[in-house]
Amino acid sequence: EDALLPAPQNISILSTNMKHFLAWSPVIVQGETVRYSVEFQGEYEREYANESWIPICECSLITATVCNITEDISATVAYNLRVRADVGARRSEWGTLKGFFNRITTSLTPPLMKVIADGYHLLVELEDMGPAFQFCVLYWKKGQESRMQQKVVKEVSSVVHLDTMEAGPDYCVKAQTYVEAINRSSSFSQTQCVRAQGGRSMWL
Amino acid sequence: SVTEIRSGFTAIKANIQARDPIRTLSILSHPHSLHKVKASDRCCITHQLFTFYVDKVFKHCKTEDSYVNRKISSIANSFLSVKRKLRQCHEQNKCMCGQESTEKFKQILANYEGLNVTSAAIKSLGELDILLDWMDKSR
Repeated sequence: EDALLPAPQNISILSTNMKHFLAWSPVIVQGETVRYSVEFQGEYEREYANESWIPICECSLITATVCNITEDISATVAYNLRVRADVGARRSEWGTLKGFFNRITTSLTPPLMKVIADGYHLLVELEDMGPAFQFCVLYWKKGQESRMQQKVVKEVSSVVHLDTMEAGPDYCVKAQTYVEAINRSSSFSQTQCVRAQGGRSMWL
Repeated sequence: SVTEIRSGFTAIKANIQARDPIRTLSILSHPHSLHKVKASDRCCITHQLFTFYVDKVFKHCKTEDSYVNRKISSIANSFLSVKRKLRQCHEQNKCMCGQESTEKFKQILANYEGLNVTSAAIKSLGELDILLDWMDKSR
C-alpha cells in the first residue's frame, strides 16, 4: 500500500507592506511532481460559518511552494491557513500554519522617496505602494528642525509639491507610510536634502 | 475598513444582484430609506445592521462560484472587524439606540423574515451599496 504522503512542513507567512505570502517546505517524492493546494479560514468562518475553509483557486494543485494570499487576507481579523500535497491519486493531510495570521503584524518599510529641487520648488516623488498606503512627509530648513512642517499624502500622484524654497539654505525631507486599515506607520526614510539653485535642479 | 468592504462588494455586485429575482421589494429601504434616520440614531442603526449582516446574512449567501465566495468571506470578515469597533462604542454608551432606530431595525428584520432565508440573504447582500452609500453620506 503506498506510503502516506507527508503533509507540508515549515509553513510560514512572509508579510511586508500589506503583501502576504504563505510559504512551506517542499514535500519530496522521488521521480514525482508534487502539487499543493491552499485554503484559508477567517474569524468569520470560525465563529459564524461552522469553521469552514475556503480554497484559494490560484493556489490549487500548484507546484510552487509559495502562495500569494494578499487578496484573501482583506480584513484585520485572525486568519488560519493550511496547505496539503497531492501526487497522482495520493493526498496528504493538511499542514496548518502554527498560530493565526493577522495583517496587523505586516512589516512596514520606509517608502522609497526622491527629493527634487526644481528651481525654487521643493518636490518629492514617492513610491506607489498601493491603495492602502498614505504618506506623512516632513520637511524643514536645515538647522531649523524645530520648525518642521508636515504634509499628508493620501494618494500618490507622480510628484508632490512641498514648498517654495529660498535661495541658499538646504531643505531636508523625510517620509513614512501610514496604513489606515491597520492604523500603523512605518519608520521614517533616510533624510534627503536639496538646495534651490536658480533654475537648475540640485540634489545633494 | 469600509473602503475594502466597498471594493469587495463592487467586485461581485452584478453577480449577486443578478441572483435576486424580486425587484419589487427592498430589505433596507422599505418603507423608508435609511436617509430618514436621525443623526443621533445613526451609530446604533449601523451597529445593528452590521450585527444583522454578520449574524443572519452572510452565512446564507454561499454560491457555486469560488471567486464570489472568497469575496463574500472578505466582506464578512471586514464586517466582523468593523462590528467589533462599533460594539466598543456601544459599550462606552456612545452609540445609544433611540425609539426611531429600534423601529427602523424592527422593520428591516420584518422585511427580511418576509422572504425565504436564501432569497432574503442574497437580496440583503445585493443591497449593501445602499448601506455603504448611506454610511458614506452620514460621515
